[in-house]
Amino acid sequence: MTELHTKLRLELIIESPALRRAEDVLKDCGVTGWTVVPGLSGFGGSTRWSRGTDISESTDMVVVICIGDADVLEPALERLHTMLARRIGVLNVSDVRVLRPGLF
Amino acid sequence: MSTLLSPVVLFFALGLVVALLRSPMSVPQSFAKGLAIYLMMAIGLKGGVEMSKTALDGQVFAVFGAATILSFGLPFIAYAALRFTSGLSKTDAAATAGHYGSISIVTFVAAIEALRMAGVPSSGYLVAVAAIMETPAIISALWLAMRGSKAKSAEEASRDRGELAREVLLNASIVVLLGALVIGAVAGEDGFERLSPFFVAPFQGVLCLFMLDMGLNAGRGLRRGWRKLGVAPIAFGLYMPLIGASIGALCGMLIGMPAGDMALLMVLSASASYIAVPAAMRLALPESDPSVYLTLSLGITFPFNIAVGIPLYIAVATMMAG
Repeated sequence: MTELHTKLRLELIIESPALRRAEDVLKDCGVTGWTVVPGLSGFGGSTRWSRGTDISESTDMVVVICIGDADVLEPALERLHTMLARRIGVLNVSDVRVLRPGLF
Repeated sequence: MSTLLSPVVLFFALGLVVALLRSPMSVPQSFAKGLAIYLMMAIGLKGGVEMSKTALDGQVFAVFGAATILSFGLPFIAYAALRFTSGLSKTDAAATAGHYGSISIVTFVAAIEALRMAGVPSSGYLVAVAAIMETPAIISALWLAMRGSKAKSAEEASRDRGELAREVLLNASIVVLLGALVIGAVAGEDGFERLSPFFVAPFQGVLCLFMLDMGLNAGRGLRRGWRKLGVAPIAFGLYMPLIGASIGALCGMLIGMPAGDMALLMVLSASASYIAVPAAMRLALPESDPSVYLTLSLGITFPFNIAVGIPLYIAVATMMAG
């Protein structure tokens, strides 16, 4: 049976203008990789949003996903949490199991 | 009346109406972005070619100076009006005010077309004026929002400044407008002649397509955001362009601008940004509510300027300077 390894998965949904700042936090904390995917549409704070309906693209949302060890992600989590105090966004972490631990 | 019934305005109205009726129709975002770049390139090139034929005299520099002062100053008037009448928070009022000191390049393009249809000539250097007016308002808005607030750490402030400077000075509007203006001035009439099959003949059609998308954007913004706005902010979206245009007209009259140029300065002073400033505000004032300023600038002021403002400003400028 294939051996699985437990890691932490951080998922951050944030407005696209703040993406660079969030990526800087991850980089500063030593996170070695992450993936950004576009948010298509959603609802929150009594407002419905949808990608492609705001010409400035300033209200578009993106999802940042990264997987790593707790000792790397926890400091990042704290800084991202502080950053989100002033911003629109959702942050969550979960335990995941990965096949190739050396990648993270 | 002919301006109101022009295809440009009618396509905008079509987009607005179908969006209000909740049509699922949309123009792909990347395509619309490409259209916007095309329109800015076209007016930048045409403006540059016009500039290559005329000398930059004292009046032109007086207009550049007036434009800078207008962009810095209009947010203060907008902020005071919003704070006295609307009950918006200090941050929301400052962020919204910043939009009204900056400009809408699409309104400017529509005004150039309206002037062309009316047979009123205008100068190419007004494209540079549009680019000049994009940014100073953002600085005023940030000052209004941040005065009295707790100072950020030196590291945080420096990082914020770098990111914001990149956003406001190197955004697509400024880069494409100023770049195309310089290229047009260098290439001159002969160089532009070779590009005219791409930038002159299809211009009207592309503008119609873009205005359809703008109508959809405005309608959707209005549908989502109007509930959050009370009567006072909506009224602000209608009277603020008139205040801006009046101050623009006064500046134009003092400088002695001809009718077409004065009308364009009025349009720039009356219009509100919905491309460059929202992105800057999300970076610098994330606590501000985008549904307030986007609904006002795109859902209220933009349609007002397209349908009522532009013909009005042209008529007033023609009367004052004609």
